[in-house]
Amino acid sequence: MNDVLTLDNDVQQVPQLAEFIDRVCETAGVDLPLTAKLNLAIEEAVVNVMDYAYPKDVKGEVRIEAIAEEACLTFVISDSGVAFDPTAKEDADTTLSLEERPIGGLGIFLVRQIMDSVAYERTDGKNVLTLKKNLK
Amino acid sequence: MMKTSVTEENGMLIAAFEGRLDTAAAPQTEKDLAQVCENKDLDIVLDCTKLDYISSSGLRIFLSILKLAKANGRHVSVVGLNDDLRNVFSMTGFINLFDIK
Repeated sequence: MNDVLTLDNDVQQVPQLAEFIDRVCETAGVDLPLTAKLNLAIEEAVVNVMDYAYPKDVKGEVRIEAIAEEACLTFVISDSGVAFDPTAKEDADTTLSLEERPIGGLGIFLVRQIMDSVAYERTDGKNVLTLKKNLK
Repeated sequence: MMKTSVTEENGMLIAAFEGRLDTAAAPQTEKDLAQVCENKDLDIVLDCTKLDYISSSGLRIFLSILKLAKANGRHVSVVGLNDDLRNVFSMTGFINLFDIK
């Protein structure tokens, strides 16, 4: 099963993404707890693109392709913005005290926590982020 | 859809969340919570009983409130987390920062 959603780089479109993920997960027979986690991981990855791929006030698109196979669910997130590798970012340190803990930096950390593999590639002037979740 | 209401009850500020606190909803939620941030005396309860979902932009708001409140010597507790939210709090280590009831 293959499904594609294309969004503008506008975070107000995030609710459309949630509908898309719910639909993909339902079709693939994914249970509700994992559906909730995938919603979170894909939102974080897509918002990251919306925030960094295109300069402020420049319109651009984010394409999300979902590929459901028997043992694996794959999401390929691509954009034509500036080269940006979110996987190069260091993980958040979740053991820090309240005083030391920075306010942000959890987005990509959550993607890594939830998905089984996260890979970035720059091809044909596009950023391509491939996220995989094993279903078995 | 996201709804945030702030009420004062028994000398505490109760912020009740309803719906999906995603990146799209976060800016309005932050505005709705201005009263919680401006207050300097009352303890705070973040009531998540009707909250279905939270992403990092929502977690950022929760952490800001906690930091601000602690700086003023106020207590923050979180009530009504569903299993999915509890899981997010656990993954991010928020479970160790907040008083979760």
